[in-house]
Amino acid sequence: MITSAISSAGALLPTQSAPLQGAASSGEGFEGLLKSLGTGAMDALRNGESTAMAAIEGKASAQQAVMATMQAEQSLQAALAIRDKIVSAFLEISRMQI
Amino acid sequence: MGDALLSAMKTSASGLEAQSMRLRIISENLANAQSTGRTAGSDPFRRKTISFGEELDRATGASLVGVKNIQGDQSPFKLEFDPGNPAANAAGYVKMPNINMIIEMADMREANRSYESNLQVVKQAREMMSMTIDLLRGGN
Repeated sequence: MITSAISSAGALLPTQSAPLQGAASSGEGFEGLLKSLGTGAMDALRNGESTAMAAIEGKASAQQAVMATMQAEQSLQAALAIRDKIVSAFLEISRMQI
Repeated sequence: MGDALLSAMKTSASGLEAQSMRLRIISENLANAQSTGRTAGSDPFRRKTISFGEELDRATGASLVGVKNIQGDQSPFKLEFDPGNPAANAAGYVKMPNINMIIEMADMREANRSYESNLQVVKQAREMMSMTIDLLRGGN
């Protein structure tokens, strides 16, 4: 139940929403989820970085560089927030008294 | 459909690019305000005009903006009497570019305002998205 809720939150990451849902529904659990969150954010970061480099070289406009960097930052923030939520949910379960 | 806030940012980004292009054209016009032709009686620099058009973003369905075309202003050139100029015709008149500094200045101010408003939309969309993501954090 928690994972399905989190997988819908993964739609915040524009590049990696499909693999994220696949990972969650195939029962890989927290590990796969965290992994796909990380790769999604990394993709956005890499894109931002390469656009910034292109802007420095004069191949891309300053606007494009700023937009790509901002998008990368936003994706990273979303990934971090979701990760924190997942980890706290996991800890909550592990603290359950048996 | 995608995230509406992301498409809003993308649309504003296209507006920023379009206004940058407009500023480029204005700067070309201003810089060439005194550019005459090279040979006697030839045409001087012709003022450039820019127009914008809607561009559909197929991924999100948002209406972006793009530069539609850049053409020459067909209004007549100004004639100035300057027999010593190499571009002067047989009667001693030189054709000067059809550029009015005041019009270019007003155009520049308008481009600036438009750029500012697009930038404001980017800021706002970014803030709204951050606020939404912040819901996940705080007070757990």
